[in-house]
Amino acid sequence: MKQETLSIITAALLAGAATLFPAQSQAASCCGGGSAASLTVPKYATAVADLSFDAELYDGYWNQNRKHIADPSGSDLKQYRMNMGAGYRFATDWQTSISLPYIWNDNKYSGVSSQTNGLGDMTVSLTYELSDDNSAWKVRDIGDMIPGVSLGLSFLLPTGLSPYDNQESSFDITGRGFYRLDGTLLIEKTIRPWNISLALAYGTYLERSINREYGKYVEPYKKDLGDRFSASLSTGYTYILGTGGDSIAGSVSYTYMKEADASFNGKRDSGSGFDKQSLGLAVTYSNNDSNWSIRTGWNHAVKQNGWGQNFPTTNVLSVGVRYVFL
Amino acid sequence: MFSCKSAALLLFLVGLTACGDNMFPSGTDKRPVIQSGSSGSSVTQKAPDFSVSDTNYATVTLASSLSGKKGAVIYFTMWCPVCDSHMSSMRTSIIPSFSDVNFFLVDYLSGSVAESAASASANGYAGGVFTTLVDINHTLTSNFNGTMGTTVVVDSAGIVRMNEDYRDGTNLRTILTALP
Repeated sequence: MKQETLSIITAALLAGAATLFPAQSQAASCCGGGSAASLTVPKYATAVADLSFDAELYDGYWNQNRKHIADPSGSDLKQYRMNMGAGYRFATDWQTSISLPYIWNDNKYSGVSSQTNGLGDMTVSLTYELSDDNSAWKVRDIGDMIPGVSLGLSFLLPTGLSPYDNQESSFDITGRGFYRLDGTLLIEKTIRPWNISLALAYGTYLERSINREYGKYVEPYKKDLGDRFSASLSTGYTYILGTGGDSIAGSVSYTYMKEADASFNGKRDSGSGFDKQSLGLAVTYSNNDSNWSIRTGWNHAVKQNGWGQNFPTTNVLSVGVRYVFL
Repeated sequence: MFSCKSAALLLFLVGLTACGDNMFPSGTDKRPVIQSGSSGSSVTQKAPDFSVSDTNYATVTLASSLSGKKGAVIYFTMWCPVCDSHMSSMRTSIIPSFSDVNFFLVDYLSGSVAESAASASANGYAGGVFTTLVDINHTLTSNFNGTMGTTVVVDSAGIVRMNEDYRDGTNLRTILTALP
């Protein structure tokens, strides 16, 4: 394989991995399920398959006043997720993907313990690549500065177990029970060995009817969750290993996520929204000969006052493997 | 032609329909008909009795929780952000209007009174308008089918007036206002 092709594949693998890690972790046994990040098919590939494992470790929460509160003494709260994903490029600038998590909740308090599992909420995405990043080694003209820009639509399907199913305990919850449509924008630029990316998403939930809560039938009503905005900025450095084209890339990221107040029968529930800031680290090893990459990452919510509101504070450890079909 | 891909897609879609009520939400009222005078956790039933300790080691029973009041509100907390938003909403928007009602938090997670008291204090709910009940044996949780956010209203006659997830407080206010 020519060196140029190797470089393209490396860049593509890394670009794909880079868009996976800034994804916001949003699962909590107290607050509703998880969803895997959307996938990116590299420009010169036809498909990707991805498998990753997350371990989300809970460590208190931010309250209404943005003050960090510790979890109860003797508690040990964890959620594990296996994320299965696949992406397919069906036209030069168009691709689609699907990702589905399987979730294990593991909650231990001094007076109760619970281990449950189930399917999480599924995401399907459609992406259009508005412009390509040439991933230049050196900037020779203005064209080398054009970033890669992708626009997308992402649809979250409530395939997980929500409070509105026949689940009697909040410990069983693996999904939020709502459809959500997101518009996404990804801007990324690589001037090797450096890269930077900005991922933005704005999503709106679809209002739904509810006639059951935790297994109990109730007087039917309508509920809608608030619109969700997220922004993630990441930058990374790629180190080429030897002459074979294998590489290791490291990246750091900052993510902000905010969800507005929910509403009941059209009336806003003041104080039910939340926000969260987190920092991320990721390392990806890419092997060109077999078109695969492996990665590990850490997403850290800072356990300080002011870094979030009305949301759990967690650390997410991730490992993943991805295969690219040329 | 019905290919393997089509079969896989069909199988996938059929699988999704088994994912519960969320894929196709229902607004149909399916509340069961409750037999008058029966005992249980459903609305209009006679509330089951209980005896638990509060965080001051005092024993609280159904009778004592209603004594001299129009009713009692029992909220199940797991000291989480959702619970905090509910409890905060109750404290600021509901409780000031209903001095003739007792408000209880049920801690069904702690294994001891001391731990429950520590959690109530750490979360800012100790010594205030709520009394925290320590449901070590899960008596209340079992009696009222409680879980995170479950809000129960029992009137002075011991009849369950409400048993549902806390929402925005509108239902709770309406029901408390209507207490005899």
